[in-house]
Amino acid sequence: MTDTSSAPVAPILLRRQGLHAATISDYLAACVLVAATSLLCEQVRPYLSPINMVMAYLLAVVLAAVRLGLKPAILAAFLGVLAFDFFFVPPRFSLRTSDTEYLITFLALFIVGIVISSLVTRGREGAEALRLRELQTSSLYHLSRDLAAAAGRPALLATVVKNIEESMHAQLAVFLPEDDRLEVSTSSRGLELSSADHEIALWSYRSRRSAGHGTDSYASSSLLFIPLKALAQTLGVLCIKLEWLYEPDTEQIRRLVDAYATQISMALERVRLSRQAQQAEIHQARESLERALLNSISHDLRTPLATITGVLGAVLEEVECLNPVKTRELLETAIEEAGRLNRFVGNLLDMTRLEAGAVQLRLEPCDVQDLIGCALAPLEKQLFGRKVVVRLPPDLPLVTLDPVLMIQVLVNLIENAHKYSAPEKEIEIFSSLSETGLSLRIADRGPGVPEAELGRVFDKFYRIPVPEGVSGTGLGLSICKGIVEAHGGSIGAQNRAGGGLEMILTVPITATSQECVDVY
Amino acid sequence: MSTETGRENLPRILVVDDEVAIQRFLKTALDNGSYSLHQAADGHVALAAAAAVRPDVILLDLGLPDIDGVEVITRIREWSQVPIIVISVRERENDKVRAFDAGADDYLTKPFGIGELQARIKVALKRSLQQVPEPVFRIAELEVDLPRRRVTVQGKEVPLTPTEYELLRLLVSHAGKVLTHSMILKQIWGIGYLEQPHVLRVNISNLRRKIEADASRPRYILTEPGVGYRLKVDD
Repeated sequence: MTDTSSAPVAPILLRRQGLHAATISDYLAACVLVAATSLLCEQVRPYLSPINMVMAYLLAVVLAAVRLGLKPAILAAFLGVLAFDFFFVPPRFSLRTSDTEYLITFLALFIVGIVISSLVTRGREGAEALRLRELQTSSLYHLSRDLAAAAGRPALLATVVKNIEESMHAQLAVFLPEDDRLEVSTSSRGLELSSADHEIALWSYRSRRSAGHGTDSYASSSLLFIPLKALAQTLGVLCIKLEWLYEPDTEQIRRLVDAYATQISMALERVRLSRQAQQAEIHQARESLERALLNSISHDLRTPLATITGVLGAVLEEVECLNPVKTRELLETAIEEAGRLNRFVGNLLDMTRLEAGAVQLRLEPCDVQDLIGCALAPLEKQLFGRKVVVRLPPDLPLVTLDPVLMIQVLVNLIENAHKYSAPEKEIEIFSSLSETGLSLRIADRGPGVPEAELGRVFDKFYRIPVPEGVSGTGLGLSICKGIVEAHGGSIGAQNRAGGGLEMILTVPITATSQECVDVY
Repeated sequence: MSTETGRENLPRILVVDDEVAIQRFLKTALDNGSYSLHQAADGHVALAAAAAVRPDVILLDLGLPDIDGVEVITRIREWSQVPIIVISVRERENDKVRAFDAGADDYLTKPFGIGELQARIKVALKRSLQQVPEPVFRIAELEVDLPRRRVTVQGKEVPLTPTEYELLRLLVSHAGKVLTHSMILKQIWGIGYLEQPHVLRVNISNLRRKIEADASRPRYILTEPGVGYRLKVDD
């Protein structure tokens, strides 16, 4: 909120109180005003008849009413009559009047003076009241606007303190329940709360009634406690210390403070509900993920098991009549499925370890070329002579990584590149060193992934909807992500210009890993 | 422990595993007339059998009910150099390093194919039978002539620094066997370099650049990630 937008309500209130309780200086000013009028009239006396001077005194009364308030204006009217009589009505310098007609003039001057004073004052009061109401409304509006914008309880409380401090020139505190106890969640700087104040706050919280100054309960306190009520429960207590609460205009202020309290309650309730909704959403998301996980696990575990069981059953049952070729075929299927099962169990274990935070990096200085070599070695059979281009900068230093885990990442990425692209297209592996760390890019010329799906490929059990017969656990990339992130790095996927998918992983390298090796 | 008699001339294999299913599977797979198979279901029986049977190869599971497999390796190594192939479900590099450092020759993670196991057994047997190392080591296009300290690839001599040669010689003398990082560091650079693994990385990298055709896909010096290096031998 901008500072200009909330004109303080407090000074207006104070000024308004000043209207009712005119000070001695106001009365003195009224006297001076009358004296000045008399002096002015003395100057023009040779040219005007005395009766015209009544107008000058009336003007003084109006001025007094506008500037000084009702009572000084009445004083001005009274003094004006006396001064007029004394100075200008013959015989001069005496209160006696030779012409009785002047008595009517005196009376008219006095009555008109009083009537004008009260009219002007009432008009002024009305304008002030309007202005005050407008300020209250706008301060409430600003508060509610800022509250609506505040995300989360801390921001909300900070907004409350700032707004009310600015518009009321008051110190305040907000009590909120924390684990069965009512604690001060936020307070103005310099506001000290005693244990007695805590007690009043607790009473107000429990009874859902205002307490403290100007109320029926704990009236001796200098603070005002207002419960923050939601529909069914009390959310906390607003505590305000108003320096000028002793003045008679408390009713007005109480209404304003109550309005503040309502706003705060609503905002607190909103935050509470949205947090609840968020939690429910998270809970639901987790549940559906767990369901998907269980479905996937049971499917991925059972399918190969079903094949293996079927094959073994068939071989066992018909051991005599199966021809050797058929048997061999069956057994090969079984062993393939067993391998798949083993990979899946391995992936599940890795994922579980990563998620449980049970993976401890065994950092070693690693030769990037060696890492790539180690990743290619177990894939040699699958790749079956497929062209894999490795491009490394010649002066790549040793980098500190967990070699085993990083090789696993590379194996997964290279295997994916292999599975999802035509075998005659080459797979490219690039590496580069930058300020952000070591980057490795594994690129294929496959179909790529739809842009909208790119972010999801690292999700658990996400399978790229592509070629038939491509089977995966849907865990490989999430494991990669887990490992890279455990290294403090990041991994991403992007489609290549000219087709294909590119996986980019970046891991930070520490200063020690770049140190020169001088022992040969 | 069960001992089969009448096959004195066959290589003796001691299988140490407490899983009945694995024992059954290995018995079926290996007891095909090529080996004489002996079995033990826990560490104590295994130690006794290792002394009584004098096996030519030991297949050892690490998760034994009484003593840990690594402890079994250590105790056997106190008096015997019999090749020990670890067969375990433990796939973490830590476990592998511990087993290798204790003196294991090879490590197979369960589940494994029988073909793979037989190949490893063959390599181990070859090594245990051949006590004196061949003076000239050959694999594919690489030839290491130990007496003449000469290394050639495709017949062309490759100039190596003394450290690189020592490193290659160490790998050759344990060809087919995994040497852990700390073993190599201790042997070549001394115990003071145990915490300086980058020295080894750089030398291996240089050595590969000199003897491998494609350093990104090494054919001779193979990396066992997180564990060590192994010089490939012909199967």
